[in-house]
Amino acid sequence: MADLEIRDLKVEADGTELLHGVDLELDKGKTLALMGPNGSGKSTLAYAIAGHPAYDITGGSVHWKGTELNELTPDERAKLGVFLAMQYPVEVPGVSLTNFLRTAVNSVNEEDIPVREFMTRLREEMSELGVDQSFLQRSINEGFSGGEKKRFEILQAALLRPELAVLDETDSGLDVDALKTVAEGVNRLSGPDLGVLIITHYTRILRYIQPDEVHVMFEGRIVASGGPELADELEEHGYENLRTTA
Amino acid sequence: MTDLLLDHLTEEALTGRSDAAGEPSWLRDHRLAAFKRTLDQSWPDSRKDEFWRSTPFDRRFDIDRSVVTSGEVTTAVPASITASLDEDAALVRLVDGSVVDIHLPTSFAERGVVITDLATAANEHADLVRSHLGSLTSADPEGTGAGSDKTVTVNDAAWTAGVFVHVPAEVELEAPISVQVHVTEPGAHLPRVLAVLGHHARAAVYLEHTSEPDVDAFVDEVVEVIAQDASMLDVVSLQRWDDGIQHLALQKVQAHRDTTVRHLSVTTGGATVRLLPECDLVGPGAEVRPLGIYFADDGQWFDLQPYVRHIAPHAKSDVLFKGALQGHSRTVFRGNIYVHKDAVGTDTDENNRSLILTEGARADATPFLEIECADITAGHGSATGQIDALHLFYLESRGIPRDEALRLIVAGFFREVLGEIDLPGVEDAAVAEIEARVEAADLDQVQVNDATLQDLG
Repeated sequence: MADLEIRDLKVEADGTELLHGVDLELDKGKTLALMGPNGSGKSTLAYAIAGHPAYDITGGSVHWKGTELNELTPDERAKLGVFLAMQYPVEVPGVSLTNFLRTAVNSVNEEDIPVREFMTRLREEMSELGVDQSFLQRSINEGFSGGEKKRFEILQAALLRPELAVLDETDSGLDVDALKTVAEGVNRLSGPDLGVLIITHYTRILRYIQPDEVHVMFEGRIVASGGPELADELEEHGYENLRTTA
Repeated sequence: MTDLLLDHLTEEALTGRSDAAGEPSWLRDHRLAAFKRTLDQSWPDSRKDEFWRSTPFDRRFDIDRSVVTSGEVTTAVPASITASLDEDAALVRLVDGSVVDIHLPTSFAERGVVITDLATAANEHADLVRSHLGSLTSADPEGTGAGSDKTVTVNDAAWTAGVFVHVPAEVELEAPISVQVHVTEPGAHLPRVLAVLGHHARAAVYLEHTSEPDVDAFVDEVVEVIAQDASMLDVVSLQRWDDGIQHLALQKVQAHRDTTVRHLSVTTGGATVRLLPECDLVGPGAEVRPLGIYFADDGQWFDLQPYVRHIAPHAKSDVLFKGALQGHSRTVFRGNIYVHKDAVGTDTDENNRSLILTEGARADATPFLEIECADITAGHGSATGQIDALHLFYLESRGIPRDEALRLIVAGFFREVLGEIDLPGVEDAAVAEIEARVEAADLDQVQVNDATLQDLG
């Protein structure tokens, strides 16, 4: 069994079925790109993996390291090493970024990291990702630009050290410099203990993060799978050809 | 001493008490004049009185009580929030209708600061006390305001324990002055505070309200503060009562030219609390920031009515109250802003936010404006909502368990207000109060707003 094994997954939101039977496998150490046009169900898959309350798994299964995720709360999934970098990270007013991160790190590691040690790590990771130290005084995502929110997502991944990182459109809204910084951040985390699922509309991020496999989703189904060359084809021909094959 | 009944004050009893306390004759006459006014007044009728419509007086307040004056020095009073400060704060302890203890730091005394009981002050600082005591309650030149109803006049006539504070001109106090009002005896408690800040003075006055468990009492409090030109005043009122207390408080500030006033109320305790933080902006350039946080639990009823009156031109007010509710609780926010026809250049804003945690709680909000002048800037808003399911999911998805995520979000909700207050000991005390409430909450019952969830594809 693969570390992440998705079998015939059907997902509903607000009474509408959005995924109609998706199969996907990902092992730690591998990077997989999931591409597709807007509304094809990519984010739905990401949310289903993370346990978003608006998405109901109505059929099939998602197993991570042999555990059925559907029965777990979002925090339990995070403790198993699942991380979702969100497409639209929310602002949570009044909850200080520092307090949030430390609570999350302590919770995932199930032990309290000393404050000084944590702050040192946090400052290091922030400077690696080019996040200004003044952000320490802010609330979660409050007043962040789109690019700052995306960097902050990767910063969280760097601190939580997940084994499965799902990056949902992490590249959208980033200028090329920010994209490089974020991609470097992801590459730094990569290694034999991390599986990466990159969800993207564009091939741009794949110039900086090399996928082992590319899958294409359309109308709630995987319609094409291949190696990195599939991304190049999409770059050239767009998603139009898929509509005819699907 | 003759027993004094709140609802049956007598001239004889009031005179007897005033004489026994060694009060000067003008003060006795002042009390008797107020007493005579009470004879023409009836207790608030929530069906008729606009300012009382929000809270049924007859159901939430019991006036059939004796006035308590039995305070003793020996009574154990909870530690003041100033106790753990590095600074040497002034502390007055007012227990069961008596001033039992006054600590005036040497550094305060050396600079001419007066903190004493009001009866003593009436003799030793007669000019100051006589010209200011009751000046914000009995005189009400504009005729708007709730300041003159019977609940206040009764205090004017029969206040028992009183505290007088005078911070002379140009004296800036780094450490706060704390007045602890502690209740151990059932009955009616009538505390009174008069504070006068001279021009360019600076002071923070804390009012800490506590009671012993299961004491059924009515606390009818009046606080008057005169902030003279260019002074800086902070008032912090902490309602940390136990369950049995009915608390009615008028805390009124008169802000003269170029003053900066902040008033923060933190209301978590008491069966019923009706708090009126009022400010008359009587000098140009004055600024007031009425802030409130509150957390109502099962059975509690909080009625918060900040009232700002823009009498002078070019003054500024900005009201912000935030409350959380759970269980069968009720909160009322009625913010009143009055702008006099001559108050050109007024800049005012008032906002109220309520967070309903569980089913059965009800929050009413009426940001009220009464504007007689066209040349001003005014805004107001209110919103009542639940915890946002997306916020909760975001925190949970980072490994934070639901209960802890809820605590963080609720504490964060209040941060906007607390972030404005940098006074020693206040933030810690307020956060502790809020956290204690969240700790005690049945978090399984918390309902979240999932309306935002569907926006995502």
